[in-house]
Amino acid sequence: MRIKKWLPTIIIAGVAGLVLAFALGQLLPTLRTTESGIVVDINDPKLINRGKYIARTADCVACHTTLNGEAYAGGLPMLTPLGAIYSTNITPDKRTGIGDYTFDDFNNAIKHGVRKDNNALYPAMPYPSYQIMPDKDVAAMYAYFMTEVKAVYQPNKDSELPPIFNWRWPLAYWQAIFAPKREFIAEASTVALTRGQYLVEGPGHCGSCHTERGIGFQELALSNAESNAFLGGAVIDGWRAKSLRGEYEGLSTWSTEELIDFFKTGRTDTTSAFGAMAEVVEHSTQYMTEEDLYAMSVYLKALSPTDGKPVYTPKKTDTTTQKLLDGVYDSRGAILYAEYCQICHRADGQGVPRIFPALAGNSAVFSKEADSVLQITLSGGRMPKTPHDRMAFTMPEFSHLSDADIAEVVNYIRNSWTNQASKIDVNDVVRMRHFLRKKPKTGTDIAPNLSINAASKGASHE
Amino acid sequence: MNKSFIKHATAALALTLITLGTSGCSDPDPVEHNPAQYDLILTEDANADIGHYKLPQDTSILKEPNAEQIFYGKRLLNETKRLLPDHVGAEMNCNSCHISQGKVPLGDPYINSYNTYPRVMPRSGTEVDLEARINGCFQRSMNGTPLDRESPEMLAMIAYMKWLGQNTPKTQKVAINNAGKVDTSLVADTARGEKIYYAQCAACHGDNGEGLKDSRGDIVFPPLWGDKSFNIGAGMARTYKAAAFIKYNMPMGIQTKGLWGHGNVLSDQDAVDVAEFFAHKPRPDFLGKVHDWPSGKKPKDARY
Ligand code: HEC
Ligand code: HEC
Ligand code: HEC
Ligand code: HEC
Repeated sequence: MRIKKWLPTIIIAGVAGLVLAFALGQLLPTLRTTESGIVVDINDPKLINRGKYIARTADCVACHTTLNGEAYAGGLPMLTPLGAIYSTNITPDKRTGIGDYTFDDFNNAIKHGVRKDNNALYPAMPYPSYQIMPDKDVAAMYAYFMTEVKAVYQPNKDSELPPIFNWRWPLAYWQAIFAPKREFIAEASTVALTRGQYLVEGPGHCGSCHTERGIGFQELALSNAESNAFLGGAVIDGWRAKSLRGEYEGLSTWSTEELIDFFKTGRTDTTSAFGAMAEVVEHSTQYMTEEDLYAMSVYLKALSPTDGKPVYTPKKTDTTTQKLLDGVYDSRGAILYAEYCQICHRADGQGVPRIFPALAGNSAVFSKEADSVLQITLSGGRMPKTPHDRMAFTMPEFSHLSDADIAEVVNYIRNSWTNQASKIDVNDVVRMRHFLRKKPKTGTDIAPNLSINAASKGASHE
Repeated sequence: MNKSFIKHATAALALTLITLGTSGCSDPDPVEHNPAQYDLILTEDANADIGHYKLPQDTSILKEPNAEQIFYGKRLLNETKRLLPDHVGAEMNCNSCHISQGKVPLGDPYINSYNTYPRVMPRSGTEVDLEARINGCFQRSMNGTPLDRESPEMLAMIAYMKWLGQNTPKTQKVAINNAGKVDTSLVADTARGEKIYYAQCAACHGDNGEGLKDSRGDIVFPPLWGDKSFNIGAGMARTYKAAAFIKYNMPMGIQTKGLWGHGNVLSDQDAVDVAEFFAHKPRPDFLGKVHDWPSGKKPKDARY
């Protein structure tokens, strides 16, 4: 038989190909790494301070710290469809952390996704975004990490990915294809827009959640110039990190001032950050300077709408409020809303300014996909804690409701008052509940310590 | 071979592997409502095991022949001030104190109310029926005036309480407590209570205990003291009663557990301190107070 005759040749060719691919895979990372020639004075207090601020804008702590774990000691699982991978220890501990990294090692890991041992990092680390950070900014972070971050002995955890996916060398190909080297290219001429673009595209790595990913898990665009898939909205960890572009389902209903307020305090009069975004505000944006917050906000407001998406939808008159006030419950969703949600979000869906977010007219509620609304209804969540408001409020979980009723109430709030959005069905709830079973708890999932001593300590608990 | 071909080939490979890896786990069945469940006991014999009470969801009201009346009762209890302004002096609703529509143990629930009355009340020393008990709350807690015992409003409120009792026979009781316990031997520290108030309560109840109304003038957060609060005849004006309420029910909206994400975060001492702080602030007098506790035995934290 023909095949039989060819089989050994095919096997040999296959193996040879694999060996070659492997060898090349070992080589590829070395093509990415750079030698900066920079000597970092890690004891320069000004540099350390700058580095601390830059680490805030890059939000390293959020992914490299577990709930109740030591800051930057790693171990936080990130769920992928194939199993969890864990963030690593980036404290200056010599045995388990990055204590023996030179500046170049540090720079190559952050910007190019290549470890000291020349292995490629999983793209869960947002190096495609960090890549545009200037070496001198990374140098400042290096000074901060090496001096001010407490060294913690905590060995890294192995990934739970199945074989092949847990090999590191194929990642080198991923990097070569999906994260080619790129530089920061300013799109606009004003200082604020340029700074905003840089923060959003670079250290803020907003796209790692807000940009749709392609079939190879790569972000479809790393900058607005590339395509307006950038920040067009995506689902991450069961949350809808919604579109930040200029359409109705994006940020067209927001003003620059509201965005600044949102990034600084985690809330506005009508909305509050929740889920993954609550973590971003709690650990990162609340620490940013007024100028940087302004820059980010004007930049976001300058983004055009996603192709073909309307900036406004036809006005819809609110008939919901009066019906709820009159006790006219014309759907199962209305009865459920009146029993479980109305006490906080109110009959008019306006919530209570800075205490309970509005649901009516809240772009997080009528965003394209219902994932965020679904997840917060099933599992609850807490607003970020910042020094600007006395208390951070929590939405209780409603996991005791039936899946069918969760679908009813989610559809109800997405389509009541002036809201207009797509509908979900019971299977969406089933899937979300299934997903949530495996999801680790985060800081904004648990009850705060309200004892009087804790209250006086304020927001910064890291 | 161009770059986009490699991109597509890699992508296709990745997709195949992922589909292989994730297929095989089909969707589980939808979950049914999982209501809170409590034991039923006999009023004579608390140890008899006679089944369970399941907390009903309001959607099941639709199955009742008098659904409209029950819904009306529920709305009256939730929005008493807006719907019955002539009978309510305070800026309060019945469910300002009867947490989550009277469905929460330790939050002054109505779960057993329909079967508990008539009974002899220690405060009045006389037998009181449910109508009189409700009117007691109108006069004290709501600093208002009683409802006509036969009025549609009174009947509707009672219909809601009856429905909530789920036809539990008169001889039985749902094994829950209406109020929780705090250590009544604790001595209150008002200064500490004030600090707790401003840190954990004032965001909602106001810096001057004035509460908050919405744009239509309806109550969002009830006041805790002043002219528009409950009067000195209310149970809530007594330090240890208020402390027991606060410990298990306030603040609300601070955790993911419980229908209102409420309570269970303050220690007994915290609760007693903050209760003493607000309960003893100025509030309306209660003219009927002269008739209370006719046989003596006045509790030590009564306001008069
Ligand atoms: C870890 C994932 C993640 C990252 C990183 C992230 N976001 Fe978000 N973001 C979310 C999610 C999820 C939501 C939806 C929840 C909400 O509205 O609070 C959201 C919501 C928002 C909203 C509110 C939109 C609305 O209509 O309610 C804004 C504005 C926003 N993000 C801006 C940013 C900016 C700017 C950055 C980068 C500095 C960023 N996000 C980084 C996950 C993320
Ligand atoms: C005890 C008060 C309370 C109740 C009851 C409540 N919520 Fe919430 N809700 C909140 C708070 C507080 C937040 C903000 C949480 C955050 O930012 O993480 C919130 C946030 C939300 C959001 C996200 C909007 C945003 O901008 O943050 C949605 C959607 C939502 N709730 C839906 C519901 C639904 C549906 C119900 C009833 C099944 C409900 N809520 C019941 C307090 C409540
Ligand atoms: C200021 C708080 C407050 C307000 C407002 C209030 N109540 Fe009460 N109510 C209480 C307390 C405290 C109790 C005693 C609970 C216990 O048994 O420990 C009580 C008891 C009751 C009981 C008896 C419960 C039982 O099973 O023994 C009923 C019925 C009742 N209230 C109805 C009402 C109605 C109707 C209104 C509105 C008109 C109302 N309450 C307003 C605080 C309040
Ligand atoms: C998130 C807002 C919020 C916070 C914070 C909060 N409460 Fe309340 N409180 C409420 C609401 C809402 C009600 C009544 C519910 C209703 O109107 O149906 C209430 C009712 C009460 C009542 C019974 C009604 C009355 O007016 O007497 C007392 C007492 C009370 N709260 C005390 C406290 C104390 C003490 C704290 C701080 C430890 C606190 N609350 C914190 C929202 C809050």
